[in-house]
Amino acid sequence: MAAVNPPASEIGGLQEETLQSRRAVGGEGSGRRSRLSPLRLARAVVLVGVVFGAAAGLILTIVFGLAHLLGIGGTEWVGLLNIVGVAFILVMMTATLLIVAERKWSARMQNRVGPSRARLFRNEKWAFYGIPHLAADGLKMIFKEDFVPPGAARLVFSLAPVLAFVPAFALIAVVPVGPDIMAFGTEVRFQVARIDMGILFIFAVASVAVFGATLAGWSANNNFGMLGALRAAAQMISYEVALALTLVGVIIVFQTIRLEEIAAFQDGTMWGGLIPAWGIFFQPFALILFLAAAFAEVKRAPFDLPEAESEIIGYFVEYSGMKFGLFMFAEFIEIVALSALIVVLFFGGWSIPWVSHEALQSWLAIDVGLGTDWAALAAAFVGLFAFIAKMMFFVWLQMVIRWSFPRFRYDQIMNLGWKALLPLSLVNLVVTAAAVVLDPTLSLALAIGLGQAFLLIVVIISADSPKRGMMAAAQHDHPQEVSCST
Amino acid sequence: MTEAVLFWILAVLAVIGGIGVIASRRAMYSAMSLVWTLFCLASLYVLLRAHLLAALQVLVYAGAIMMLFVFVVMLLSMTDEEKGKARASGYGIAGSLAAGTILVGVAFAVAGQPSPEGPLAVGTVRAVALELYTEHVLAFQVTAVLLLAAIIGATVVAIRRI
Repeated sequence: MAAVNPPASEIGGLQEETLQSRRAVGGEGSGRRSRLSPLRLARAVVLVGVVFGAAAGLILTIVFGLAHLLGIGGTEWVGLLNIVGVAFILVMMTATLLIVAERKWSARMQNRVGPSRARLFRNEKWAFYGIPHLAADGLKMIFKEDFVPPGAARLVFSLAPVLAFVPAFALIAVVPVGPDIMAFGTEVRFQVARIDMGILFIFAVASVAVFGATLAGWSANNNFGMLGALRAAAQMISYEVALALTLVGVIIVFQTIRLEEIAAFQDGTMWGGLIPAWGIFFQPFALILFLAAAFAEVKRAPFDLPEAESEIIGYFVEYSGMKFGLFMFAEFIEIVALSALIVVLFFGGWSIPWVSHEALQSWLAIDVGLGTDWAALAAAFVGLFAFIAKMMFFVWLQMVIRWSFPRFRYDQIMNLGWKALLPLSLVNLVVTAAAVVLDPTLSLALAIGLGQAFLLIVVIISADSPKRGMMAAAQHDHPQEVSCST
Repeated sequence: MTEAVLFWILAVLAVIGGIGVIASRRAMYSAMSLVWTLFCLASLYVLLRAHLLAALQVLVYAGAIMMLFVFVVMLLSMTDEEKGKARASGYGIAGSLAAGTILVGVAFAVAGQPSPEGPLAVGTVRAVALELYTEHVLAFQVTAVLLLAAIIGATVVAIRRI
């Protein structure tokens, strides 16, 4: 986001602080950050585990506890509890923390400290990894002047941030974040809506997300905003096709479009317990294609052409205050929702490899001696924990990718979308369909998937020279072209 | 009861959106009103338990086709002088008459039909897919070929200008 780049004076202050803190630790010197002692690692793992566990416990308490107290288990009202537990607690809180996390992680990657000035009660020790900056950010957004540029289409200008925010938030509605449980006579699920459309709902909602960015750029009466809007529309429409086609292979393998059934299928194993039945093992190639298309849909670097803060600032160039905040927040929510989706489709959802939910539950009930009801709750906790841990990994991965790669040129974006991703996803679709038709037990599909994974690993390892990379090849094709606009 | 209440709310909202399409002076507002109407129609499809149709309505019409409309309207960048003027031309009168005739015809046709009872399972994704890929597979394939021909035709027409 444009807001991430701090002004020069702030950078100067931070560098000064880096030096001061390094001087302060004295003997350890500047090598302090690079050395990873086992103690620090263990502390970090425990801290992360406690945070994930707290989140899982909170969701479990809200959804199951309230359903049990109110006696609404097994009804559609559980969906309302999930709106609170999953949508507000998990997605909103993660997205909120990402506002700080992106700055912190990008700072780490650039050898900076990142936001560190906001502290609770001005206490030097209470910096809390920069999290108090959330309050500073929120207050800044709320109290900034809400400016509408002259000549803007006022209604659309005010509507566009909402149109960008709502589809991003609605994506999480069909994602199951935990296993269905039955304990103390109360049956709950950890999914907001259990609908017939499943993945189609995701496609439909994602296709509507284009309107927010496009209308924002158009309504502001600003040529840079207009460029951003046109880029956003062209890019998102182009990549929607590839996004949908890559997932058709996954649908063919799992034989359903309902996400809860896909997650439950991946709880099992293939080849007599040798390999977990995760989507990644059937469709590793589709995962790569899906990641590329999904990053383009979220409009983050290296696909941040609609934004491109160094050239056109983007479709939200005229927005200020909380309206800009909604665009920023929508992007972070999309990151979280996309990570959740990747986990459900390719990485087993709430399942843990090789241990099925039933086996875990009976082990906890009989061998550990928790009793059936508490064992069900504990197994649900494990499932929620596994989901959150996997989801956070992909959130982190998206952050790392965003701060590692330079922006594509516009023609590269279009070539990648139409000439690479689309044909490759069609090939993947044909191969998967043939494999499933030839062998309905999915063994052939799994073998092909593992072969693809092996090939991909070989390609990634052997591609040590940047000259063999796709971007270098594209630059070779057009050596004279400068960055072109729409 | 709930269904009736939801139906009337959505029906009124859909009609308001439809009026917005023809009453708006700016092309962008017309397009947005049409998106609004399409969403209301998708919700009505859900009430009719046509889940697949509802999803495809949003995905194809609201998400893809209307997005292209908006894209084109954006590029036109109409100034105030080019906005449509409210005037009664011969085309307008003829169009209104045609629309009114169709409305009356549809109303008479629908009025005689008995309303279906109980939950229907013909509109779910599984039910539609089974029909589409077994009973009507030939029509499905022919439609696919037709669309392919349309894409190739559009490319052939446009390729001289690229």
